[in-house]
Amino acid sequence: MGIKKVGAKPQTLVEKIFFLDFIKGLKTTIKHLWKKVITVDFPYEVVTPPPRFRGVHGLRTVDGTENPEFDSWVKRLKIKPPEPGETRCIACKFCQAACPVPELFDIQSEKLDVPEGHPHYGLKVMTVFNMDLSKCTFCGLCTQACPTDCIIMTDIYDLSSYTRRSWVLDKDMLTQIANDFVARRGKEKFDEKSQWREDQKLWPEYDRTREKLWDFNMPKLGLNYHDQTA
Amino acid sequence: MSWISVEKAKKLEERFGYPKVSQDKSGVVSVEVPKDKFIEFLKFLKEDKEYDFRMFLDLTIIDHGEKEDPRFQGVVILFSPTYQHRIIVKTWALDETLPTLTNLWKGAKWAEREAWDMFGIKFEGHENLVRMLLWETYPYHPLRKDFPLEGIKDTYLPSLNETLRGDSLEGLFNYDRMHTAIPTMEDLEITQKKRMPVKTSQIVLNWGPLHPGTHGTIWFLFDLDGEYVKQCDIIIGQLHRGVEKLGENVNWQQFIPYTDRMDYIAAINENHAYVLAAEKLLGIEIPEKAKWIRTMMAELSRINSHLLWLGTYALDLGALTMFLYTFREREKIMDIIEGISGARFTINYFRIGGVFADLPYGALDAIEHLIKDLPERINDYETLLTRNRIWLSRNKDVCIITEEDVYEYGLTGAVARGSGVPYDVRKIDKYDAYGEVEFDIPVGETGDSYDRYLVRMEEMRQSIRIIEQCVAKLRRMSKNDPYFFQTPDEKKLKVTIDGRGMKLPAGEVYASSDNPRGELGFYIYNKKDGLKAHRMRIRSGAFYNLQVFTKAIIGRPIADAITLLSTIDPVVGETDR
Repeated sequence: MGIKKVGAKPQTLVEKIFFLDFIKGLKTTIKHLWKKVITVDFPYEVVTPPPRFRGVHGLRTVDGTENPEFDSWVKRLKIKPPEPGETRCIACKFCQAACPVPELFDIQSEKLDVPEGHPHYGLKVMTVFNMDLSKCTFCGLCTQACPTDCIIMTDIYDLSSYTRRSWVLDKDMLTQIANDFVARRGKEKFDEKSQWREDQKLWPEYDRTREKLWDFNMPKLGLNYHDQTA
Repeated sequence: MSWISVEKAKKLEERFGYPKVSQDKSGVVSVEVPKDKFIEFLKFLKEDKEYDFRMFLDLTIIDHGEKEDPRFQGVVILFSPTYQHRIIVKTWALDETLPTLTNLWKGAKWAEREAWDMFGIKFEGHENLVRMLLWETYPYHPLRKDFPLEGIKDTYLPSLNETLRGDSLEGLFNYDRMHTAIPTMEDLEITQKKRMPVKTSQIVLNWGPLHPGTHGTIWFLFDLDGEYVKQCDIIIGQLHRGVEKLGENVNWQQFIPYTDRMDYIAAINENHAYVLAAEKLLGIEIPEKAKWIRTMMAELSRINSHLLWLGTYALDLGALTMFLYTFREREKIMDIIEGISGARFTINYFRIGGVFADLPYGALDAIEHLIKDLPERINDYETLLTRNRIWLSRNKDVCIITEEDVYEYGLTGAVARGSGVPYDVRKIDKYDAYGEVEFDIPVGETGDSYDRYLVRMEEMRQSIRIIEQCVAKLRRMSKNDPYFFQTPDEKKLKVTIDGRGMKLPAGEVYASSDNPRGELGFYIYNKKDGLKAHRMRIRSGAFYNLQVFTKAIIGRPIADAITLLSTIDPVVGETDR
């Protein structure tokens, strides 16, 4: 069993008399004195969060990139088949079931008020989807539970507000956040079946601010495994 | 592996007659003894050369439910440094009392106070049985099964409610006006007075609860003779959130985000300990790739935590530059972790059965880049501090913790290693890929603050060594290798990434991981197969390490308190849970 003894060595006389410890320390400090500033001047400069970043939630809409099981889920839960541009949410409440703080969700669905014989007779539609983000732990379990890849997490992290009320996001707000995010950075994160892309980057490489964090010495991102393709 | 063999335990049965030995599927060996023979039996285990269970790990209580009789069971976990294995000793707490263990192990003092606080079990012979985490006038014992999760709402507290132009809002915006009890100033005064019943001096110095030097909300009381500490006690619990109670009331996977919030500096390691325990109870073996990823991430997190420790420790002792240097490196590690898992601090990357996602494109390159640079930076830190005469005189021979203390108080992690005890769960349990990587355990010689400092510095270098091996191994793997547990027998054993409907079998397990702050162990007792744990005990390394503060500070000047606290390095989220 590898055991490595570490112990104190007393200062030698030479070190004591000539203040070698201080001189060495000062040398290190002076070496660092000439380095460039590495702090980011927030909010004038921002670092773009990585694609996997777990920020404020969003509800995706139907845009032709649903996963293969989407139609069968819609049928199984008797949801009105959504038109393009409508929400993907099927009110299955899986997100609530997976959440460590389930009371932050308020999800309701209603039967459509249509006469018998109408093609949508007896079908439901999601009407209420409120999330109280002041209770959210941003653990991401809801996004993994969602069978239709509807609920996603975006790269928005500034949540401050004057009232608690504004932490509660409703379905329109969530949909807007997701649409905006998908338009901005959807290609980086999702593939054409709404799954996470296999070649999701560790960070967005176009972000120049991140160089500061890395002392202007960024690593060059490459393949992890030998059989991976870019 | 790291449990006493059943044959050896059976010998105890033959020798005494009364112990009942049982082994769980997860490998845990437990011995049940009657209450009146409890102390005698433990004393034998401690002192007999053939067993030599000198080291105290944990003491807790299981509440079997209101209807059961007897209802409470005491559980003691011990470790034998000679034979490198553990044992669990159980006994029934008849009449809600147990004999005290403080005469055998001093470290049981806080554990017993916590058991009294949480379960209302009285320990006969305990020198000052006061509450540990809650305040003295609190009437309930919250970990009892009849105490509801949301608490007993008996205090009127309307101030949390938000009003808009005088009207209270409806729905999600509104809170209940009745709340669980909160301590008043009088309650805190009573609590403070009860902590030190016999004072020797006129002045008791309060340090904390909100002092920048305590790194969190810890409240120290020093009984001073001039500048020297005669007596010391610590009031913790200001950050107590009842994580154990939550663990008994949320599903298995849902508990992982809560473990993030215990030791928030090294959240990955907290997740690690928990998923190890749950996997052991499930009896599954996770895929090779997941093991190596986890090992790598855990070590990254260890470096991250040690860098924060080094920065704040040096800052406390007056070396301000250090703080800026270490935070620069730390930022890079956080950046990598953020890219891999999606969060910087509360990471929640591990799952029961592996990890939730494979490494993103470029992760290994970034990590390689980081660890190539890091040894040089650590050398820089060492030139600034290690030989510096001010640093030496503030640290050398300050607050010595002896080897005896390590066993008595159940000290683990760098505090134990600084005192010359090569106790490292990574070597003992060989969980995940630790059995296959090469690394040394740094140990100190005298057990002073300086040794603890050197040990942690060396630990960072060893972590870099481990990460190098992990990266090399992961490079050889394929992208198609699974990173999450797979089984052809889906119906029998359901393990999902989001964890809905995951059931864990009945049984008990104790599994731990070596955290930057000591051994973090999860003792899970499951009565029947279930979605939730019956008892979730968290053996916090920082809690037990902090306890030795009250002993090591005695006879030292008050200025050493900050050195000692920094080298013990507790995180309040973990001590209070």
